Amino acid sequence: MELRALDRYRFRIPRDERLGMRTDVIVYASQNLIGQIRKDLSLEQAMNVATLPGIVGPSLAMPDIHQGYGFPIGGVAATEWENGVVSPGGVGFDINCGVRSAATSLTEEEVRPKLRDLVHQLFRDVPSGAGGEGPVRINGRQLDEVLAKGARWMVENGYGEERDLEFAEENGRLEELDPHDVSSRAKERGRPQLGTIGSGNHFVEVQYVDEIHNGEAARAMGIEKKQVVVMIHCGSRGLGHQVCTDYVGQMGAAMKRHNISMPDRQLACAPIQSSEGQTYLSAMRASANFAWANRQAVMQSVRDAFRKIFGKSVKLDLIYDVCHNIAKREKHVVNGKKTDVLVHRKGATRAFPPGHRSIPGAYREVGQPVLIPGSMGTASWILTGSQAAMEQTFGSVCHGAGRLLSRTAARKGRDAKQVQSRLEEDGIIVRSESRDGILEEIPEAYKDVDEVIEVVHQAGLAVKVARLRPMGVIKG
Amino acid sequence: MFEVLEHTADIGLRAWGETKEALFENAAIGMVSLAVDIADVEPRIAYPIAASGTDLDSLLVNWLSEVLYYLDAQHVVLRKFHVEQITAQNIVGQAWGEPRDPARHRPKLIIKGVTYHQLRIAEQPESWCAEVFLDI
Repeated sequence: MELRALDRYRFRIPRDERLGMRTDVIVYASQNLIGQIRKDLSLEQAMNVATLPGIVGPSLAMPDIHQGYGFPIGGVAATEWENGVVSPGGVGFDINCGVRSAATSLTEEEVRPKLRDLVHQLFRDVPSGAGGEGPVRINGRQLDEVLAKGARWMVENGYGEERDLEFAEENGRLEELDPHDVSSRAKERGRPQLGTIGSGNHFVEVQYVDEIHNGEAARAMGIEKKQVVVMIHCGSRGLGHQVCTDYVGQMGAAMKRHNISMPDRQLACAPIQSSEGQTYLSAMRASANFAWANRQAVMQSVRDAFRKIFGKSVKLDLIYDVCHNIAKREKHVVNGKKTDVLVHRKGATRAFPPGHRSIPGAYREVGQPVLIPGSMGTASWILTGSQAAMEQTFGSVCHGAGRLLSRTAARKGRDAKQVQSRLEEDGIIVRSESRDGILEEIPEAYKDVDEVIEVVHQAGLAVKVARLRPMGVIKG
Repeated sequence: MFEVLEHTADIGLRAWGETKEALFENAAIGMVSLAVDIADVEPRIAYPIAASGTDLDSLLVNWLSEVLYYLDAQHVVLRKFHVEQITAQNIVGQAWGEPRDPARHRPKLIIKGVTYHQLRIAEQPESWCAEVFLDI
């Protein structure tokens, strides 16, 4: 495969590399990361994405890219709103999987002595893993309201504060949807799971601010060195998973009718303007709302757990909430012309620049906060979006460190207890529903998050604001 | 008759069967055993199970999605399968298992969905083989 370096942090696979590609692939990576990226199928998958009908601009790969199914994870593709397609595989099974970070009114010094109690309280109060039902009990009619209103429904029903809505992407709610486009099976899977994190790489993490790289932006976000921050990573649970299953199946059948063929069936797609495309987008938005409601409910459980340990006056103020598995209609400049496009972000985070009207007033001057979780033993980052991202990547950056090892390889020859005590030596307490859950998420299973962040920072896609170090982790 | 396949982010399954029917049965057992420790699951309750599709690939994805639906929505762990019939577009069978009990059925991982990614079903001289990847 021809992979030409454009500059220090950008590589290009030209569109003539393979028949059927409609555009180039652009990969953001360092020399070292590109070596790791070439070891799995992620670049082939980015080339498959380049064959999507109606794709505009390049098929983009972020430095955390790794092999997924259909789309690579860490992939971005924009399609023309009028003549392009939507692909449920470009969003993924976990629709609106995302991250929210909240600043507490506590310092590392204050939390450290009670850290073990806090982690245990969080583990008790935030259901994780396969067994746990959520704290939010709702009937079918209320679920439809959740699908229509997203995080707002939670706040209206006592799970959070009005202010939480102001600081979420899209205010925690997408419009233009009909809850009936979500199948009864999807609703059945998701309804008992509201307020749970699930398993895999999902977590609630207590962190402290380790380094400040941009004082002005950090002030706007209300964070300073040594302050304790909570990061929550989860999505739309079984509801979104079933919606993806339902619509990949339906679109597979519809593709013949629309005369579309794709190199990977998981890239099943339909014209955005077709009834299949519109119905999927409606169900996807409803699932996204479910995910925002879910993160809102989890955040409220976290808030309550903090107050049980540190007293009622403790504050948890939402810094921001981003989705990293989503397709959104946005305006971007394509070939010098403002164009309506559908931006698929599959394991990628929106990164809008200062001045953009879609970001909260408090961040208008510094840019949209971009929340990047690392692995459980290393670091996470907060950055801000940039104009370069708008110009080069449809306002998108990476979403994490990116996996390096398969889960089986991560488990091999390792013992969960040893991993746990090694992390404790570094001051990190981990509780998980399963031993495998700890082993599969060991730091060695991931790329170096600092290196991934350096690439997006140096490439100008996002600007470093703060580095966060983990103290306590609960996971499924 | 199945084994686990490596994947950077997700997990795969390779299953075999002497017949197409046995292949589908073994793939289902393989998938359930990735999600739950099935050693103590008693096949004491019978559940009907059926799926349809446009070809063999989609039949397998939809069949496994059905098993996943029982697990994630109905909270039922199935551990024995009998495929009665596979036609070009339909599969009908019966499965046995019991409601999930986390105390006896240790959860292993949450499977989000069954993918078409690198899906392969092949008839070999004396058996059938399939590879399927699951999003976890």
